Amino acid sequence: MKKRHVIGIGIIAIVIIFCAVSLKNSLTPYVTFAQAKTISGSVQVRGVLVSEQMVMTDGGKAVKFKLLDENGQEAIIVYKGTKPDGLEQAASIVAIGKYQNNQFVAEKLLVKCPSKYQSSQGSVNNK
Amino acid sequence: MVKIALGLWISGVVYAVFSMVPAVEGLGYLVRIAFFHIPVAWVAVLAFFLSAGWSVQYLRTREIQYDRKSAVAAALGLLFCLLATISGAIFAKLTWGAYWNWDPRQTTIFILLLIYGAYLVLRASIQDEEERARISAVYALLSSLTVPFLVFIIPRFYFSLHPEPVLNKVGKLEMNVVMLYVLLAAVGACTVLFWQLFECIVHNKQRSV
Repeated sequence: MKKRHVIGIGIIAIVIIFCAVSLKNSLTPYVTFAQAKTISGSVQVRGVLVSEQMVMTDGGKAVKFKLLDENGQEAIIVYKGTKPDGLEQAASIVAIGKYQNNQFVAEKLLVKCPSKYQSSQGSVNNK
Repeated sequence: MVKIALGLWISGVVYAVFSMVPAVEGLGYLVRIAFFHIPVAWVAVLAFFLSAGWSVQYLRTREIQYDRKSAVAAALGLLFCLLATISGAIFAKLTWGAYWNWDPRQTTIFILLLIYGAYLVLRASIQDEEERARISAVYALLSSLTVPFLVFIIPRFYFSLHPEPVLNKVGKLEMNVVMLYVLLAAVGACTVLFWQLFECIVHNKQRSV
């Protein structure tokens, strides 16, 4: 290979690695609860449901529950709207919104379904 | 002949998806979208790798037929990638609750669309056939190096709403057997469809030369 080509490929590789390292955090929109407290705009936080108890407030028009994030912190999530299907069975929950008065007010809730491609009847399974 | 067989194969797969695939825990019958989404995504990756392979052939032999094949493969790959993105967004709305939230999987496939979209723009901007072939070949080759990262490696480093890959970290398949066979049939049908589209477009291009 010509020396010119080697240098060219080397430069491209360095640029790619530089981009990858500096873009590391932009590749994911999810932040921890600690980070969410410091960011002023709308953020996406994710966690697992702490307890099976969900509190319905406002005559069933709002949902309140606790999430545990990856750093082990808990947060109270308040969502004004109908409870999404499968919220309790979700493997993880993503809340989009912002912190207000020590509670996370969510404009939107997203759920991660369990990654199982098994029949819900359970009878056709064999691995 | 192949086209008739393909038509029957696709019909068979669609029938199987609607009648044989059981409802799944959590997703229920929505899992059917996966039987379109997964095949088109796999074929896009295959197309991008084929494009790179023909790029290498072009750079070695300088025969224009390889440039033609590489370009058609990349363009079809972009099309299938777009189909994967759109079906993914629909799947996301129905299962996660939103069409698009810049989930890492969505961001990486978006980047992939940009990379190969740029490939087409690059080709359109060069008039001289040989120069275009040479530069496209290098670009297609470099672009294909990003594919394993964007599709397989990077998404596994981040939390994502996207379901775990079918081949999970342990290496075992966590999938109902009937579903697995139907999925393999769907992937096969999609691959043959790609092959037929590819041959058709390449022949048309050769005829118009």
